[in-house]
Order: sequence, then C-alpha cells, then structure tokens
Amino acid sequence: MLALLPSLWGCDGPWGVRRRAAAPLGLGLEGREDPALSGDGRYLASVVERGGRRTVLLQERLSGRVVPLRLRGQQPHSSPSLSWNGRYLAVLVQQGAKRLAVVEDRATGNRLPLMLPGDLEPERLSLSPDGRRIALQLLDQGRMRVEVFDLGGLLEPDLAPAQPVQGGGPP
Amino acid sequence: MAQGRSLLLSGSLVLLLGGCGFGTLQPLRGLNDQLQRAGTGQSPSLAMGWLALISGQSGREQVLLVELGRSMPVPLPGLNRPDAQPLGVSVDGRGERLALVRQLEGRTELVLYNRRTQSLQPLPIKPDGVPRQVNISADGRILAVQVSRGGLWQVDLLALP
Repeated sequence: MLALLPSLWGCDGPWGVRRRAAAPLGLGLEGREDPALSGDGRYLASVVERGGRRTVLLQERLSGRVVPLRLRGQQPHSSPSLSWNGRYLAVLVQQGAKRLAVVEDRATGNRLPLMLPGDLEPERLSLSPDGRRIALQLLDQGRMRVEVFDLGGLLEPDLAPAQPVQGGGPP
Repeated sequence: MAQGRSLLLSGSLVLLLGGCGFGTLQPLRGLNDQLQRAGTGQSPSLAMGWLALISGQSGREQVLLVELGRSMPVPLPGLNRPDAQPLGVSVDGRGERLALVRQLEGRTELVLYNRRTQSLQPLPIKPDGVPRQVNISADGRILAVQVSRGGLWQVDLLALP
C-alpha cells in the first residue's frame, strides 16, 4: 500500500473530487479503522493495532504528525470523534467489563468519563463539532437505538472561527 | 456513629468523583422520544443543528436527518431506496452534505448526497476496495472513509469540491 501512495497523491476523480490515502504512520503496513476528522479537517483520528490492542491515534492530516494523547490503557478503543478544532476527542474505551464513553480535552489534559444511566453500554458515538452534545448508539436488550445527550454544562464550546457565541446580553 | 461514617464516606466519594471530572449525561428527552418512535437507530452523526442516523423498523432501514431545533426529520428526496441497505452515514456541519455507505444490488458503494440540489453522486473507491465507516468534516471539505483492500482496513481521504 505504501508503494501506491505517490500515485494516489492528488489524483483527480469525477466531479472534482481529489483523493489521497491517509498519511502513512511510518510503522509499516497496518490496518486503520474508524476514521474521524476534526470539523476543520486539520486532524484525523483513527484506530490502529498497537501490540495487539486497538488504540486510537490522532494525527495532523496533512503532515501525518502523531499528536500525543493522554488516553492510555483501557483498550480496545473504538469510534473516535473530534470537535471542530480538535480540542475534544471523544472515544469509547474499555473499563473492566464495561464499555465507556470518554472525552479527552487536549487543551487542559482532562479526561471526562461520561456516565450513562442504568446498565446501558455505548456501541458508537458522535460528538457535535462544538462539543455541546454527544450522540450515542446504545444496545438495550438486544435493540440498537440512538440517544443524544447535552454536554453544555460539562465542556466549553469548541467553536469554528467567527461563530457567534450565546449570551453576553443584548446587542 | 457507623451511619455517620458511612455518610461521610459517601460524601467523600462524591467529591472524589466530581474532582476527577465525572460527568452525568443529561438526555435530550423530546428528541430521544422522537428517535425511539422512529424505530431502531445506529451510526449517529451529529452536526451543529443536525443529527443523521440509520433508523428503521422490521428490517427496513433508511437514513434520517433530524433537525435538532424542531426534533423533526427533514425530507431527503432521492437518497433512500427500498432496495438499498444503508451501512454508515455522516453529515457535514450545515446538514447540507451527507456521505453514505450502502449495499445495493450486491455491491457496497460510497455516495455523496447534496440536500440543496437533491443530487446523489457516487464516489468510486480507487484502487478498488469495499467501503465501510465514513466521516465527513464539519466544514464539508474532506471525507475520510474506511476501506477494505486485500484483507486490510485502510483509510482514504477525499477532498470534496
């Protein structure tokens, strides 16, 4: 695959779509799954095998530079999701016998485990670009369902440039 | 005395957990009730004011795009087909573009739907591969797709016009 990369770079497709393979990791041939882009497209998170354990990897999309994360242990990781500027990385981790949604705040280094009511376990997740909400795919008595939760009181917004913020009184 | 010690321990535990940044999730009840009524749900994708997901009843699944402000799905003319099985979906920040992986006529394909023009555009996988998970950046400019090639999962990036 790596040998194919130069031929993929900048290859034009139909309707003006340009395609390229994700930046190589420099670690040889390995599988990559569950891609997630930051809202501005600067960062790419994906899940790779590290020592036989599925581990989330965050990279700058253009350079391929690996960005360090504080998420260690609690593999397998799955279903990463990034906020607009990549400040927040939400991901599913394993904690004992349970799967748990966790948000890492790259600006502060804090890890925020998100506790679900009852015995519900998340299967997949999606963080809104501003970090104010999270959608979880839940398995409940053999049935998949999606629920959305408010994170407004837990995370500062991670807004796109020039996006208006709420509050501040009348104009 | 024992009861007081127990209360003190419980209080300490709450403070300890709070200090670790544990968050209790607050469900958006009106929206979640609507989603429950639509049937099963999977592959959620949240945008600023939008939620895309695959939802269905009795094995008939389709892509739903829900406007969060009204907790109501919006029409997606030309996207859902009764003979197609959606596998993964992702929506951009404005709820305008949806990337969809679906099975149709024995093939798994990646398509891009534009809600403004109601047009559906196939995105061929080159070199050949089978797409699975898809994610579109909120600014709608980049698409990342997980592709199976030769028994290995890879990630392709596509810059969208």
